[in-house]
Amino acid sequence: MSFTRRDFLRATLGAPAFLSLGRTALSQSRRDTVLVVIQLTGGNDGLNTVVPYGDDEYARNRTTLRLPTGELHKIDSLLAFHPRMEAFLRLYKEGRLSIVQGVGYARTDGDHDRAMRVWHTADPDPSRRPTGWLGRVADHLLSIAPMDTGAVFVGPIARPFALNAEHAVVPSLRSAQDLILRTQQQEQPSYQADDALLQFLRQSCQDACVKSNRLQSVVESGSGVGGYPPFGLAGDLRTIAQLIRADLGIRVFFAELGGGGIGGFDNHANQLGNHCAVLHQLAESVAAFIEDLQRDGTLDRVLLMTFSEFGRTVRENGRRGTDHGAAAPLFLAGGRVKGGFVGTHPSLNDLDHGALKVHIDFRRVYATVLDQWLGLDSRTILGGRFEPLDVLQT
Amino acid sequence: MLKKPTDPAWAWSPYEPDAQRPWNLRWAGHLYRRAAFGADWSQLQQALSDGPQRTVDRLLRPTADADAFNRTCDEHENLAGGSMDGLRAWWLRRMIETPHPLLEKMTLFWHGYFPANAAVVNNPRLMQQHIQLLRSHALGSFSSLLHAIVRDPAMLIGLGGEANRKAGPNENFVRPLIEVFTLGPGQFTEDDVRSAAKAFTGWFVLRGQLRYLPREHDDTVKRLLGREGDFAAENIVSILLEQPATARMVVRRLYRWLISETEEPEDALIAPLVESFAASYSVGQLVETMLRSNVFFSELAYRQKIKGPVEYAVGMAKSLESVVSTTHLAQDLAHLGQDLCHPPTVKGWPGGRSWINAATVVGRHNLSSKLLQGSEPYGDKFDPWAVARRHGCTTPESAAAFLLRLFLQDDVEERQKAALLKDTVAADPKAAMGRFAQTMTTQPEFHLA
Repeated sequence: MSFTRRDFLRATLGAPAFLSLGRTALSQSRRDTVLVVIQLTGGNDGLNTVVPYGDDEYARNRTTLRLPTGELHKIDSLLAFHPRMEAFLRLYKEGRLSIVQGVGYARTDGDHDRAMRVWHTADPDPSRRPTGWLGRVADHLLSIAPMDTGAVFVGPIARPFALNAEHAVVPSLRSAQDLILRTQQQEQPSYQADDALLQFLRQSCQDACVKSNRLQSVVESGSGVGGYPPFGLAGDLRTIAQLIRADLGIRVFFAELGGGGIGGFDNHANQLGNHCAVLHQLAESVAAFIEDLQRDGTLDRVLLMTFSEFGRTVRENGRRGTDHGAAAPLFLAGGRVKGGFVGTHPSLNDLDHGALKVHIDFRRVYATVLDQWLGLDSRTILGGRFEPLDVLQT
Repeated sequence: MLKKPTDPAWAWSPYEPDAQRPWNLRWAGHLYRRAAFGADWSQLQQALSDGPQRTVDRLLRPTADADAFNRTCDEHENLAGGSMDGLRAWWLRRMIETPHPLLEKMTLFWHGYFPANAAVVNNPRLMQQHIQLLRSHALGSFSSLLHAIVRDPAMLIGLGGEANRKAGPNENFVRPLIEVFTLGPGQFTEDDVRSAAKAFTGWFVLRGQLRYLPREHDDTVKRLLGREGDFAAENIVSILLEQPATARMVVRRLYRWLISETEEPEDALIAPLVESFAASYSVGQLVETMLRSNVFFSELAYRQKIKGPVEYAVGMAKSLESVVSTTHLAQDLAHLGQDLCHPPTVKGWPGGRSWINAATVVGRHNLSSKLLQGSEPYGDKFDPWAVARRHGCTTPESAAAFLLRLFLQDDVEERQKAALLKDTVAADPKAAMGRFAQTMTTQPEFHLA
């Protein structure tokens, strides 16, 4: 089934309402690129995610956590996906997934909150940054399109600091229903007001109503109802797919895995089983999302990226777990990624306090998505110039 | 729309109703939206018979015992046992029920002016003390407030200024103190910030307590704004208070809060206020001058401000003379962008048009629907039909006309009014008036303060 924006307008609006919106509605029919960020809370063990099974050092350091070679999903003679990440191998083979290796920042100190704040603010000295990098994106988008909601968080936990903005209100949503009017509004005045502020409110109320109707039709069309596994993250991504299809002008979506309660990615003891579960949820949820969007071509304007506050130590810690590390791989998925690897796998012999060394500053990934994907100026948002990576199709 | 000329002498003279600007429901509603969180019908009627200046008197100096009310609320807050949810809920409840709403309105103003974020402070007791500090100075002396703010543990932690070592002076607190709270950008140099940071060395917040460690104080000579000496923290505050830029900053922020968000006032317009405020730093006097003024009761101010989520919801509660679960309300308001005790940055909530986007409009209208449809978690506390009957309405038609006056003071275009009132006949008036009140509170005009 193929949706176009015109179909939605035909389906959800009578002609008079459409005409009364005039320029406003038309200016919103850009089908902009969108970014979906997934936070893996707790510090993901990159070595057991994209596994360097071909390196003897891996087996030597991981006496109990070593994943059986026969069960891995091999990418090449060195690296393989975790046994429960079969879906990622599929995406990888189809060219829908890129793996950026050895991402992080210099001088990780191992404190969760501080490291997360660094990633959220895009600043190694986060105390001087009152806003998150995506909050700054939302502020910038607000200045371009004042009635749109530039960024949203979708999930059951408190909104991550990455979305903290100075001007924009960045909502936290639990489901698409949060953006659908519960009761049909009596018709709002559509005529021009003398006063600029009242006119702004009138247009905003109409615009909200139009968007609510559009989203309602997407939800009623059954978009993405089947095909998503029964995981929290999958549900959040399904909501995001609905919001993208409804073309609400939202450019940045943020979802999260691991921070909502027990478990998560912070496995200092008995890591194996728990890590299996969260990686499986990640891979299956993301694959369902990508495949859902691929069906009607929406995927071409969607880029998904994952991140975690740090990787983990190469050597396991004697409690069948790992401690806080530094560099780790990061995934980019979508219709216009180049696919394959970016950068080389960090050496397992050349460590810094037992952790893999960082090859790629995380802000280079941010700069890539800002400049080349969202079409924003990364220097303004990151407060400096970071060289983009060659990861997206032009 | 015709705006009055901005002659300062005219602007700040007390408003006296005349044939061209008669005192009516429209202005009574305006006054209560700005100086309070809206009004119930009796208050509007009282205001109509009292006239503007006596109504301002009442708002400034309520006859009921506001101190006793606030003491009771403080005790409830204490019993809430230092939980952030409890603190937010009690504050909202206080806004709805207080006999002195202007005090809460100004406490909320200072909360945005001196924003301490509970997520950073991470100590509900300190947040509670912080809000109490703001309330105790809300209509008092700005000088006393500023001196107290630099000693307030929540404020120091909130801005990352809880440790001020001699070896590494900390600019996290003094930079916003100078740039945001007092002088403003372009009124100081980086050397001024460094000197101020040195003057603050020795002050720490340790286990929630403010402490001064003399050995950590840098007692070398500091230079600030052309002055020189072994300044301590309080000297920095005093020097900042001597600058006209500080008085201008407060006046501009308060103008935006009480009068208009749409137009920045000219320096010449606010000059008389800046001058008298700099001489006394009396917030109460400044607020009083603004509320009594011609400019406040002019088209320069009328509906030139967008309600924040708190004003939106508390205003509904005031009009409908009832209280709902403020624990849930605090959470819903957070989703609309105003999480009490969690202002987003050092500049507080930016307000104005930034409150409104497609998501927040849907959020506001869904909140109105939840509040008025008798469903969980709010139940059927809001009963517009009962309110209308209490004030003498006997039919759905008269109740609808009443609600239009209550919520919007009848001030909508005639064709809009006709559309709103066209089908109010209903078998179930309670449900119909619930829906009608929902229509009122989702009109574009209702979002304007």
